[in-house]
Amino acid sequence: MKGTTDSDLSFIQEALPAFISEAREQIESMEQLLLQLEDAPGDSELLNALFRCAHTVKGSAGIFGLDDVVAFTHHVETLLDQMREGRVALTADISTLLLLCNDQVRGLIDQAGGSGAGDDGALAARTALVQRLQAAAGAAPAAAVAAVTATEPAAVQANADLAGRRWHISVAFGADLYRNGMDPLALLNYVRGLGQISGIVCDIAAVPALEQLDPESCHLAFELGLETEAPRAEIEAAFSFVRDDCRLHVFEPGATPDDFARLIEAMPDHPRLGDILVACGAITRAQLQQALRAQGNASASGGAHQPLGEILQVTTGVSSQIVDAALVKQSRQKDRTAGARDTAQPVAEESGGGFIRVQADRLDLVINLLGELVIAGAGAALLARQTRQGTLIEANAQIGRLIEEIRNGTLQLRMVPIGETFSRFRRVVRDTAAELGKDVLFDIVGGDTELDKSVVERIADPLMHLVRNALDHGLEPADERLAAGKPGQGKLTLSACHESGSIVIRILDDGRGINRERVLARAWERGLVEDGVTPPDEDILKLIFEAGFSTAEKVTNLSGRGVGMDVVRRNIEALRGTVTVYSDPGEGSRIEIRLPLTLAIIDGFLVGVGNSKLIFPLESVVEVIESRSAISTPDAQGRSVVELRGRVLPVLNLRTQYGLETDEPERISVVVIKSGSHSYGVMVDVLLGQHQTVIKPLGRMFQSLRGMSGSSILGSGEVALILDVNSLAEFAAGKQPAPAKSRDVAQGGQKTLVRS
Amino acid sequence: MAKRSKATAPPPVAPLALPAELTIYTVGELRPQWLNWLTEGTLAPQARIEGNAVEQIDGAGLQMLLALGRSLEAAGRSLHIEGASAVLRSGCEALGLSDWLRERSHEGVAA
Repeated sequence: MKGTTDSDLSFIQEALPAFISEAREQIESMEQLLLQLEDAPGDSELLNALFRCAHTVKGSAGIFGLDDVVAFTHHVETLLDQMREGRVALTADISTLLLLCNDQVRGLIDQAGGSGAGDDGALAARTALVQRLQAAAGAAPAAAVAAVTATEPAAVQANADLAGRRWHISVAFGADLYRNGMDPLALLNYVRGLGQISGIVCDIAAVPALEQLDPESCHLAFELGLETEAPRAEIEAAFSFVRDDCRLHVFEPGATPDDFARLIEAMPDHPRLGDILVACGAITRAQLQQALRAQGNASASGGAHQPLGEILQVTTGVSSQIVDAALVKQSRQKDRTAGARDTAQPVAEESGGGFIRVQADRLDLVINLLGELVIAGAGAALLARQTRQGTLIEANAQIGRLIEEIRNGTLQLRMVPIGETFSRFRRVVRDTAAELGKDVLFDIVGGDTELDKSVVERIADPLMHLVRNALDHGLEPADERLAAGKPGQGKLTLSACHESGSIVIRILDDGRGINRERVLARAWERGLVEDGVTPPDEDILKLIFEAGFSTAEKVTNLSGRGVGMDVVRRNIEALRGTVTVYSDPGEGSRIEIRLPLTLAIIDGFLVGVGNSKLIFPLESVVEVIESRSAISTPDAQGRSVVELRGRVLPVLNLRTQYGLETDEPERISVVVIKSGSHSYGVMVDVLLGQHQTVIKPLGRMFQSLRGMSGSSILGSGEVALILDVNSLAEFAAGKQPAPAKSRDVAQGGQKTLVRS
Repeated sequence: MAKRSKATAPPPVAPLALPAELTIYTVGELRPQWLNWLTEGTLAPQARIEGNAVEQIDGAGLQMLLALGRSLEAAGRSLHIEGASAVLRSGCEALGLSDWLRERSHEGVAA
């Protein structure tokens, strides 16, 4: 801020990105806390957490000289402070205001990060918000006056009766208090909330004359009595924000005059402390003089100076741990005044909780290298097998196992809980519902389900669209709901869980469901389905994901612009995922998104058909059967059925499907694949076993190829194609090439066997 | 400065009007103004301050007021605060400066 040198500047340059990302996290948690507070207004834990977030943002923004952020956050903090003291209650208006302010801070941070531009409009908006903040907090000072004037005389009067539980607090604030964004006034008002302050005197001995004053340094110290039932920890906690910035002594009720005498001795820079203690009623003058005399004698007779910490421990019975902590703090304070300012490091380590912040691109680099390592490792293992040297093969197998462990560990690093993304929707739901005039209960289930960060990032937008769609089209307005015999409040649930190697995200609403007739009418109108043809139910629902489809009767600014659902489907398919919609008219809809856990490396099951190598994702492989006799005569697309433990299993022939011109071998195997709720078999020539598969995208030429989701390089340098089990499932179910309900794949009974 | 040399008896110096916001955000720019005002009124034994406009105050603001008082008292002058606003009074009370304020205001804490 002041006296910025070049080294400061370069430090700021380097540290700014870290600050930006941390500030964004703080802002994100502030939003969550605000939303949680709406459900639990007056929860002091939440309020404190909120205050801490705001304070952290303000504090670190100050370090980076982001004055706009500091100034604006200050006003937010003022209001939060009033709320923390219970002077301002959280109303819906204030909550909305704080959320808007949070957006504003986010905008300012983005601006600082260079990803947004400030303009006059933003400034005007900010000024307006500041005025609203002041108005919201403004009612408080008047109330505070009344409270203070009312309590003070009463407190002094009651002093004598309550002397039994009158704590004495002696606090001298450090010079950096203001610079760290704290205000003694706010702090003492907070202490006031713990009980009754009886007798407070400001020790102004350290305040210099105006000529010598650095107005941004704090020189104030206070002696005050506090009548409270609160335990020591709670009283000390009131000062937790300024622990490093003050000398704090808390004397329990019944502290002896000797204690105060020692306090006076310990604070030589406050010459009038004795008078002040008398003035604030901690001790009588006679008692104090006696104690001081006694102590003077002790030190004159050569007794070693007893450190204050020991005194505290002996006289107040404070646990040694607390005293140690206080003493550490004290010495830290001394260090600081002595000019050693490097105390931030250990503090940061203490509060870090064992997390290391790593840049995402470094992690991506490691994962890319890992992919290469996997391929190279497979190559080495292959060569080793060719040499037929047992020890070499053994060594390579060992390397392979280690690579696999490293792979799992490294991929784990990129796993993040999806809850963070989910909770972002709380705000969306809140605002959208308010905009639409609907009352919606939003629920999140399975937020701690983890998946790859790259997937999480790319699923947020499609999810956002689906959530908005459910709010806009799915959930009815309250009157319509009541008329339908449903509770007025709609329910929207976002859930996630792991299911056979993929993650399933569900968006459930209890709205009106999807109107099949309307969908079909629209599909006929748009020429998506031939006029008059009625496809099966599940196919009708799928039509909503077709390009250019929109059923909204009125176009709102939220959804219904006809872009949307097809884009959603495309985005999800680009992640090798699938989206399915289920709906009961009048009861609600359920949209299910199935995604792979990771996009980088998977466990694959390598098989051979003719000269081609193919890979199934291992999680989707249920079993392998080896039987020729039970297979029925295939249809034109190579589809047939096989009996598996009393059930009929559709089986695909890749040789026919992809036109592989090699002869079928004598013995073939059928790999049984499970995709969602369907099972099917795939005929293959040889089983080559488990294979660590580094997923590479298919070239542009092959993107239209159905049933393939990617490629991978084998140890031998050959390219293997990764099969897309979901689209193969559709093919097995007879959905290809045209959606025709009457198509029979082999023998009759096809429908029952597919839709199990 | 020019004014002083021209007049034999100093014209009554205008009281220092405290601003609406007396906080950490304003103390930096206020201090030079106040120092200026101090030298302007060198000869007046009573330095008067008007406190009715104060709407926002914090520890830093009050501290600077204390420092101003200290400067005046060091020069053998006295500080008189007139018409302390409710915010100023409650700020002083909250920080245990009621006596300090009472000693320096004409009307005491009548309200």
